[in-house]
Amino acid sequence: MVAQMHNVRHFFEAHQGSNSPLVVIQQFVRAHGIPDPVQVKQLSQEVALPEAAVRGALSYYSDLHQPPEATRVCIGTSCVLAGAKDLLAAARRLTQCRGVYCVGFCDRSPAALRSDDRAVVLNGHASPEPLLDPAVLEPTRPAIRSVARKTIVTRRIGRGDFSELGAARGDGAYATLAKVRCMRPEDVISALEQSGERGRGGAAFPTGSKWRRCAEAHSDAKYVIANGDEGDPGSFIDRVLIEDDPHSILEGMAICGHAIGAQKGIVYIRSEYPRAMERMKLAIQAATAAGLLDDFQLSIFPGMGSYVCGEETAMLNAIEGLRGEVRLRPPYPVVEGLFGKPTVVNNVETLVNVPWILEHGAAGYSALGTKGSPGTKAVCLNHGFATPGILEIEFGRSLRDVIERDAGGSVCGQRLEAVLIGGPMGSVALPSQWDVPVCYQAMAERNLILGHAGLVAVPEGTNIRTLFLHWIEFMAEESCGKCVPCRLGSKRALEVAQSAETSRPLPQLERLFDVMRQGSLCAFGQLMPGPMSQMLKHFGGRILQ
Amino acid sequence: MTEQIATIDNKTVSVRRGETILEAARRAGLDIPTLCYHRELSPEGGCRICLVETDRGQIHAACHTPLQPGMEISTSSPRIGSLRRDILSLYLSAHPADAFRPSSTGTEIEQLMHRLGVSSPAFGHTAESLPGDESHPYLRFFPSLCINCRRCLHACEEIQGQFVYGLEGRGSSTHLIFGPSSRFADSPCVSCGACVDHCPTGAITDTDRIDAPPPDAVVQSTCGYCGVGCRLDIEVSHNRVTRIRGAPHAQVNHGHLCVKGRYAHAFHHSPDRLTRPLLRTGDAWQEIAWPEAISWLSRRLLELRDRFGPHALGAFTSSRSTNEAAYLLQRLFRTCIGTNNVDCCARVCHSSTALALQTVTGTGAATASYADILLARNIVLAGSNPTEAHPVVGARIKQAVLSGSSLIVIDPRRIELAEYAGVHLRPKPGTNVPLFNAIAKVLIEKDLIDESYVQSRTEGFAELREFLHTLSLAQAAEIAGVGQKEILRAASLLAKNGPALFVSGLGLSELTQGTASVMAFCNLGMLTGSIGKPGAGMLPLRGQNNVQGNADMGGMPNQVTGYQALTDQDVRGRLEQLWGIAPPREAGLTISEMLDAAANGKIKALWMQGEDVAQSDPNQTHVLEALNALELLVVQEMFFSETARFAHLVLPAAGVFEQEGTFTNGERRIQLIRHAVPPPGGARADWEVIRDVANAMGACWKHETPSEVMDEIARVAPKLFGGVSYARLEPDGLQWPCPTPDHPGTATVHSDGFLRGKGRLVALDFVPSPEHSQNGYPFVLITGRALEHYNVGTMTRRTPNRDLLPADFLEIHSTDAAKYDIKDGQTVQVQSRWGSTRAVARVSDRVSPGTLFLTFHFPETHANLLTSPYVDPQSKCPEYKVTAVAIEPLRGEAA
Repeated sequence: MVAQMHNVRHFFEAHQGSNSPLVVIQQFVRAHGIPDPVQVKQLSQEVALPEAAVRGALSYYSDLHQPPEATRVCIGTSCVLAGAKDLLAAARRLTQCRGVYCVGFCDRSPAALRSDDRAVVLNGHASPEPLLDPAVLEPTRPAIRSVARKTIVTRRIGRGDFSELGAARGDGAYATLAKVRCMRPEDVISALEQSGERGRGGAAFPTGSKWRRCAEAHSDAKYVIANGDEGDPGSFIDRVLIEDDPHSILEGMAICGHAIGAQKGIVYIRSEYPRAMERMKLAIQAATAAGLLDDFQLSIFPGMGSYVCGEETAMLNAIEGLRGEVRLRPPYPVVEGLFGKPTVVNNVETLVNVPWILEHGAAGYSALGTKGSPGTKAVCLNHGFATPGILEIEFGRSLRDVIERDAGGSVCGQRLEAVLIGGPMGSVALPSQWDVPVCYQAMAERNLILGHAGLVAVPEGTNIRTLFLHWIEFMAEESCGKCVPCRLGSKRALEVAQSAETSRPLPQLERLFDVMRQGSLCAFGQLMPGPMSQMLKHFGGRILQ
Repeated sequence: MTEQIATIDNKTVSVRRGETILEAARRAGLDIPTLCYHRELSPEGGCRICLVETDRGQIHAACHTPLQPGMEISTSSPRIGSLRRDILSLYLSAHPADAFRPSSTGTEIEQLMHRLGVSSPAFGHTAESLPGDESHPYLRFFPSLCINCRRCLHACEEIQGQFVYGLEGRGSSTHLIFGPSSRFADSPCVSCGACVDHCPTGAITDTDRIDAPPPDAVVQSTCGYCGVGCRLDIEVSHNRVTRIRGAPHAQVNHGHLCVKGRYAHAFHHSPDRLTRPLLRTGDAWQEIAWPEAISWLSRRLLELRDRFGPHALGAFTSSRSTNEAAYLLQRLFRTCIGTNNVDCCARVCHSSTALALQTVTGTGAATASYADILLARNIVLAGSNPTEAHPVVGARIKQAVLSGSSLIVIDPRRIELAEYAGVHLRPKPGTNVPLFNAIAKVLIEKDLIDESYVQSRTEGFAELREFLHTLSLAQAAEIAGVGQKEILRAASLLAKNGPALFVSGLGLSELTQGTASVMAFCNLGMLTGSIGKPGAGMLPLRGQNNVQGNADMGGMPNQVTGYQALTDQDVRGRLEQLWGIAPPREAGLTISEMLDAAANGKIKALWMQGEDVAQSDPNQTHVLEALNALELLVVQEMFFSETARFAHLVLPAAGVFEQEGTFTNGERRIQLIRHAVPPPGGARADWEVIRDVANAMGACWKHETPSEVMDEIARVAPKLFGGVSYARLEPDGLQWPCPTPDHPGTATVHSDGFLRGKGRLVALDFVPSPEHSQNGYPFVLITGRALEHYNVGTMTRRTPNRDLLPADFLEIHSTDAAKYDIKDGQTVQVQSRWGSTRAVARVSDRVSPGTLFLTFHFPETHANLLTSPYVDPQSKCPEYKVTAVAIEPLRGEAA
């Protein structure tokens, strides 16, 4: 006996079309507010899910149980270092507010999204008034530079806004797709394999072999999903790519669809990126209307406020209308993914690389970077650096060069105590550790995780305890709740760190982090304790008073 | 190819594709501790107690990580040991200090604490105690004990398919919820109890578990409710049934049960059980001793036989009692009295099904088995609501569909399984024949039939094709009230996935076209090449625990034990040898004919074994007249039933857990029932009483045990039962035909060709019921069952199931309710041409406009005052499913 909620979703997907339960629920919440029990019952009938499942989803996703009209004040790492907690408290006295983890303007922290979805950046000034000032302009594109021999990821965004189809086509968008359509899928996959491209979302899985496994799976339907759930505080490259170069992503997806035999593509975009959502919607409409996508059908799935949904199996659950909990693997999504069908989930930046690789050839790509990490990488620099913004580098460039030369050190010239790399699942790099090439293997050997390559400066004088508690809170709130070490360990760690009564908090915390790291089900629980342990190790005295 | 191997704790294990480390370890005899894992459920992977370490220092959860060739696994390294203790410790930190105590005999989590040596949380704890949920008659939830392991959720989804449970919140605030609330009473729970069986902490439990002392004994037996025949483990303490579980590995139910089988057992110890024989003189009832009762009854039977002739006497054998009792009672009437006036309540339920199947296939029973449900790729469900009437089968059909089988539901009501159907056809009640004909026409004319099967294994195809050729699809659709497009969709879905499993119920049988309905259904079975194949065939769901067995035993006026013809010389010879005398050659009377004959004075005496005809039989006014006219009415009963009021002698009967014997379920499986508790007072097993009466009438029956009765049955009907004996019936019984002691029994009948030779396709005209379109009676009433109660409720009304459903209800469509200004919960007067009653309205779009549905569980309702005297002309099955009625709301009587 085997029926689980997934089967129910697969069943109703097959029988009642592709109405997405979460989208129906989100529309309801936006129109009518948080549903009462009678409305939950009606909703459950509408979306063909049991009431318990609807309640489960409502309570899981922040956007579905918090007031939709509230101003969203970013409390991501970069903004917290820029005083976002005080900003949130002050803003609450003026208007309805809620904290969200990263709105993607780390280069100008703190930042917020107003109720009309427009972003406001405060650039070091944590005062709430601009959040209510209608005259404040929408922020511009961050500074974008490339120090790579070839500029790939930022090839368009570095030169302006290419979201409009005409501009993108004028710059060569979709030309590669047209050529690829005449290639055998096998040759496309081989090219990807030979290029050596690795996924940019954090896990660095080889893209070509992911596609191959999905291409080899037999099924009547397959899916391509672009992962635009750039949750890691400190990175914002995906936001800028979706906003200003959406057609490169769509082109990459269509190429993937051709290679693996998928007819449907879904761009998953987090709700904290409203402008990206809007731009992508227009891009899909334009590309579809122009007939550029052939019979490849594209749609957008909006995130609903959950960090873990950036994990691919949690993302699949979200799209199916379930709680964004991770699934057990195997089966892997390439074999049994969305609605049980083979699915490739690729990060946005990964996909932007794809047309370039096929246009310029695998050899041209693998000649860049290092042997194990070919190509280039967009590195995001937060407002704590002298020259914040997006920096495209070739893999292999020294981290110290990136921090001291490219980013110019700290914004006010203080000594940097550390740099946070790759968000809360990344690492804390002390200056003594900076002499390492930016690439996957050399960093791994030194116990550093590149993640999505967002860099957050920790200048001298930073309140490390605030930062530490912020991370544990983040973990306790964003844990999907499926496995015990992550679900209860994060809560316990928070209680231990906050309590003045615990007699020996340091060994207690170390033991808890150890259980989480070794025992958790997914990367979130396994990796989040890493930077926190590193912080305890380096700054323990300043964390536990 | 060389065998691929891995090692676990230095033991070499072969690697099997898809097998997890945990499964491989258990296969090798190594016990890895678990908490959220249960072998019957899919792995959750959340508790992380089953973590193991590889030689490369990687840590994996054994429950969901496949064992790979070359892995060297350690299941109990010091690192793993301390990790497990810390994880368990984390669990404890989220619960009050006194929630769990390490114990080798406690709940699973307490045993785990004992095993791992964890007694208090290493990280401290902050949890407060929370109050328990006592909103439900049986189920209890104690949130302070809930560890969110989700085994309840998996059990609910993967066994029952009910999806009651969910999780609310995120991160550390994640907690269990029940449907719309946190209370069982408000949830869509159907009280199957699967979650209770799977909870490792006692957070989800039931009143039976909380109250029960440790059992003195556990007795394995068979459920006494519906015809599914679930196997039970009955726990007994101080001679009382304290709790019931599904027998874990039973082939029929795989450990699963429903609210009736698991919980509704209190009736056994009800204070109003009959304990002494009761003799009526005039209006006065007198308790008498058994010897007196036996001799009075035998004398009276002989007297009436001698005065009015043997055919003035008759018996209703019981579908609730054992095979042995049914067999002996029919033998008593056929030999000691000399009449074939023997019938059973199969007459008033599946007689049409049995007759139709016997006519077209050669066997009057299911051709398939319950095991076929999960094998089926294609299921057609017609006139049956199994999630309420046969819940364990209903749950399995749901599982089959959710795992990929297609489902077509044909039912006037939007039953629960209709939600899962690819196509739901909603014919007007009693119009199956034109609808099935229409589907058959489409199959044939669109060339969707299994040509070679039809050619080689059936007869009558040319006539059927010709007949259907003249049939107008539009007209058939019009009569059935179903759109032509829907019929086309159903036919193409039916043809798409190959052979289908045809599951049916009383919605096909209890009609004036009952036999024709089932034959037309069998036509579909043969046209699609389904009968005689695994995962396919005809699977009528039988209503009572032993209705199949009762007919098998010869509780039929026209056939003797094993469906043998009364006129067959070989049979008569065998009976003469075994019984000393052969029964009369002429068939006797059916139930309804006996009641008619009683009313007009031709039948003088009736022996009714455990059947409450005064409540259960149609056209009740007429039934009561008949009972009143009898010179002798003997009733064998557990309770003083509605029928007992008319009796001259009432014999107190032992219940299902109070005797030995066998029941035969709806898939022809003969299973043992076991003596678990003693009957109250002087109540006795039916078979013993019948034996004693026969001996008092001058017979010389020597059966000391029911087992000896079964040995005799095997000799009487060797083709079906020759290989059946009690020694072979543990644990899962035998499916007949089982002709010889070395025969394994038969799961799929007709697999080597039809028993009658060729399967018979039949061209069937439609004759509407006289109850169709009666002026002044604008509604068609269907009667039927609800989940919580069983038939006339004799048993379930004496249990807390009464709190789950305290009264009958009348389903009425919202537009009809609006038209008559009827509010939900309002009492409604229902009037037919035959009688009237009152029922509480339930406004529900499960019925179509113009159709009503009434349950018949409560004597206060007397649903059968409404039903008509019409019967199927062939099977004599009454028409419970179509009665023309009028309704009127009663003002000022809103509930």
